[in-house]
Amino acid sequence: MSVEFAGFPFLTAILFSCLAALLVILFIPDERKMLVKWVSLVFSGITLLLCLCVYVLYDRNLGGLQFVEKVLWVKSMGIYYFNAADGFSVPMLLLTGIVLFTGVLTMWELETRVKEFFAFTFLLVAGVFGVFMAMDLFFLFVWYDVSLFPMYPLIAIWGSTRKEYGAMKLTLYLLAGSALILPGILYLYVKAGLNTFDVTALMRPGVFTPFQQKFAFLLFYLGFGILAGVWPFHTWSPVGHVAAPTAVSMIHAGVLMKLGAFGVLRVGIFLCPEGWQYWAELMALLATCGIVYGAFVGLAQTDLKYVIGYSSVSHMGIVGLGLATVTVDGMNGAVFQMFAHGVMTALFFSSVGYIYDRTHTKMIPELGGLSKIMPVASGYFIVAALAGIGVPCLASFWAELLVFIASFKVYPVRGTLAICALVVSALFMLRVVQRTFYGEKNERFAHLQDVPFRLGLPRMILVSVIVLFGLYPSLMLDVVQTAAVPLINGLPR
Amino acid sequence: MTWVLFIPELYCLLMAIAFFGLSMAARPNPRRDYLVALFLTSVGVVVALASVRLEGTLFFEAYRVDLFSQVFKFLLVAGLFLVVCLCTELSGIEERHHPEFYLFLTTCTLGMMLLVSSVELLTIYIALELSSYSLYILVPLRRGHGSDVEAGIKYLMVGAAASAVMLFGLSYLFGITHTTYVAEIIKVLPGVIHTPAAILGLLLTLCGFFFKLAVFPFHFWAPDVYQGAANQVTAYIATASKVAAVAILMRMVALSGGTSVYLVNVLVALSICSMTLGNLVAIVQKDMKRLLAYSSISHAGYVLIGILSMTQTGYASAIFYALAYLIMNLSCFLVVVKVAEDGSDLKIAQLAGLHRRSPLLAMALMLAIFGLAGIPPTIGFTGKFLVFAAAVERGYLGLVILAMVNATISLYYYILVVKAAYLLEPDEEPARLVVTTPTKVLTAVLVTVMVVMGVYPHHFLEVARAAARALM
Repeated sequence: MSVEFAGFPFLTAILFSCLAALLVILFIPDERKMLVKWVSLVFSGITLLLCLCVYVLYDRNLGGLQFVEKVLWVKSMGIYYFNAADGFSVPMLLLTGIVLFTGVLTMWELETRVKEFFAFTFLLVAGVFGVFMAMDLFFLFVWYDVSLFPMYPLIAIWGSTRKEYGAMKLTLYLLAGSALILPGILYLYVKAGLNTFDVTALMRPGVFTPFQQKFAFLLFYLGFGILAGVWPFHTWSPVGHVAAPTAVSMIHAGVLMKLGAFGVLRVGIFLCPEGWQYWAELMALLATCGIVYGAFVGLAQTDLKYVIGYSSVSHMGIVGLGLATVTVDGMNGAVFQMFAHGVMTALFFSSVGYIYDRTHTKMIPELGGLSKIMPVASGYFIVAALAGIGVPCLASFWAELLVFIASFKVYPVRGTLAICALVVSALFMLRVVQRTFYGEKNERFAHLQDVPFRLGLPRMILVSVIVLFGLYPSLMLDVVQTAAVPLINGLPR
Repeated sequence: MTWVLFIPELYCLLMAIAFFGLSMAARPNPRRDYLVALFLTSVGVVVALASVRLEGTLFFEAYRVDLFSQVFKFLLVAGLFLVVCLCTELSGIEERHHPEFYLFLTTCTLGMMLLVSSVELLTIYIALELSSYSLYILVPLRRGHGSDVEAGIKYLMVGAAASAVMLFGLSYLFGITHTTYVAEIIKVLPGVIHTPAAILGLLLTLCGFFFKLAVFPFHFWAPDVYQGAANQVTAYIATASKVAAVAILMRMVALSGGTSVYLVNVLVALSICSMTLGNLVAIVQKDMKRLLAYSSISHAGYVLIGILSMTQTGYASAIFYALAYLIMNLSCFLVVVKVAEDGSDLKIAQLAGLHRRSPLLAMALMLAIFGLAGIPPTIGFTGKFLVFAAAVERGYLGLVILAMVNATISLYYYILVVKAAYLLEPDEEPARLVVTTPTKVLTAVLVTVMVVMGVYPHHFLEVARAAARALM
């Protein structure tokens, strides 16, 4: 059996820490709720530390695949347990670590079926980590599905607002996506004839003919695109976000949607670069539709979570637009946007979650003047809203800037349209902020407390991450660059 | 010492005789019957495992013992053992009939064991009938129910019709090839497979096995029999009986030599019809066993995809799928048997609150259901993955996409079951289920096998490939 390890297996340790948390939680009795929470916190803390280690230790000068772990798994099928991190996956790992840790903290007040909640959460997150680090198509798909199915119980049991409908719709949509991905993977596996699922072996130039690449890329784009909220397959996303409990919304909008974009990147773009170039026009078109559509529909919403849901559709459109430009700037911007949007949405849902837990409503007209009652809680939401608009000094500014510069060069008309839509989205964000947090104080909520320090911790972490990467974008871009430049330079012209 | 080859079957026969002896006991004693059955079948598993590596032929070449047959014999006896494990409270069947219940389970297993080894048409037919007749008796054995008799008669009628059709097909095969030996047929038949008579003969013969596997259009019996029979009997029909059908189907399809486009087209059509019909009708089911019946019809379609690839990888994947199906379905029935303690039919709504009544059973049910839906990291996903990989290799990409669409449809009703177990709250608070330690161990073992084989299929896959090589 061929085993290949380079140093301490950080990536396996990340997976192991999630699965260990799952197992430990399963063996804790139902009644020990605090114990479950502490165990979750400790394990998610360890996971976050490991992710930070990977982020810091990733050699930016060397680039390429690092932290390689490769074990032959199923010989007859050519399946490898193959984990590695590159410039695209390192930021995603960090993002997942942050969102998991802050998500656990956000759910500190959960009282119903605590044990099951955290067990499912860790299963889901293990799947997410797995996708970000897998370099073998079999494992990538396995992890991908593992990250999807816990969504059903998570939303259906702990959710709100039409939760069963939302959960079912979300699960069916996303797994319908994987119904396209699996045939795509098998098609490439068979056509390559190399008897391997190893991405690095399959991505060598000349393995697939242009036609095969075009065909397979379409399957992957549609399959993963559903999860990335690509218009017109986005309809599950606002419904699902609204129905989900706070931490699940955070993980879902913050990380899971990135999984879709990342799947397009890792499987579609890596293996079928010619298909990517061929379909780039279509990707740009759908992405622009998403950006414009999300912004306008968001304008009409009265539910805070729906507002965020549609702004997510719009923001994920920016990721899609970046990928569609087939340029270094576009790729950099897209991956940066995935990270920035992940942290930002997590902050959004986290702050809405706090408000909803206190006021038991997330309808904008019923709130109002909240900044006078809970200034700190409002502050978190407003920071997220500003980040969503793309205010300088916040992380998403750089991401959006890069994408728009790139798309302006390649697709002038669509780029312009997207920028105009951004103005609309600024309009609706500011309107939401104004109606919810300023204006007449609602006496019904006057007795409510502001966020205490303990509960504010996760939001503070998220805010500081947004500001940090907003002030030092090169912290992120240096990493992404190491993967984007070789990818674009390696393209067949 | 050729009789050594026959040891698993002989052991099964001895078990049957032992139960026959028990059935003549003066007073019924369910506890004793159960313990005897448990002991005998567990020894049977060991015997079957020990004889896996045997090879040879018996009875004038009509009976072949090879890795293919021995793997299936092991699966069958393991299935029997696991079904007997579910019989702690055999409340669906009258106490005085318990020894007969075990007796016919054993003879049925014996018939299936003979079936997977037979390589001569008449032997195949007789083995098939032995297992079928045992089931015809087992189905109406249920206590105080009207529906069991109806189910029994339906099963008998459809079964008899399928048998007749099959015999008709066998006569064609004999007429064309002038032999009843499979080894001879496989030499002659691929040469004449393009003649209508050969295709017709083979297809009609396959009908008998389609009936066993509940492939469209021979599926009508499944829902009624599943619902009408006692829960344990249904568990047996749904698992061991299906495994045997997969085995013999592979043996017969391999006869064609893999060159007939007509045969493949017919199998593709049947596979699509089975999947689609099973999944669509399952959506509206309220009864757990009926739902599993329709799900079994759709799974017959998935297995056919592996078989119709007609390559070694295809057959190997079908063998793997059979194992996966056995384990997943047994886990489902474990929950059905334990929740419906009084031996009645289980409505899906009755699963409400299961996560509190028994978290372990709820988890096992969830894993098994997600496995049936083909979600990783369960054995069901790996089975589907292998089957689909084999089919794509032969260029049936469209079929695989259709199958995946079907899997997505099936997810809807599977999720409804999970929802019942995890989400719905019962009207009145039912008591916590008493799950004994042996049941806990059994559940844990099934769950472990489902996950471990799903994530690490290497070893069994190697066995399945070797077994498929023996077939070709």
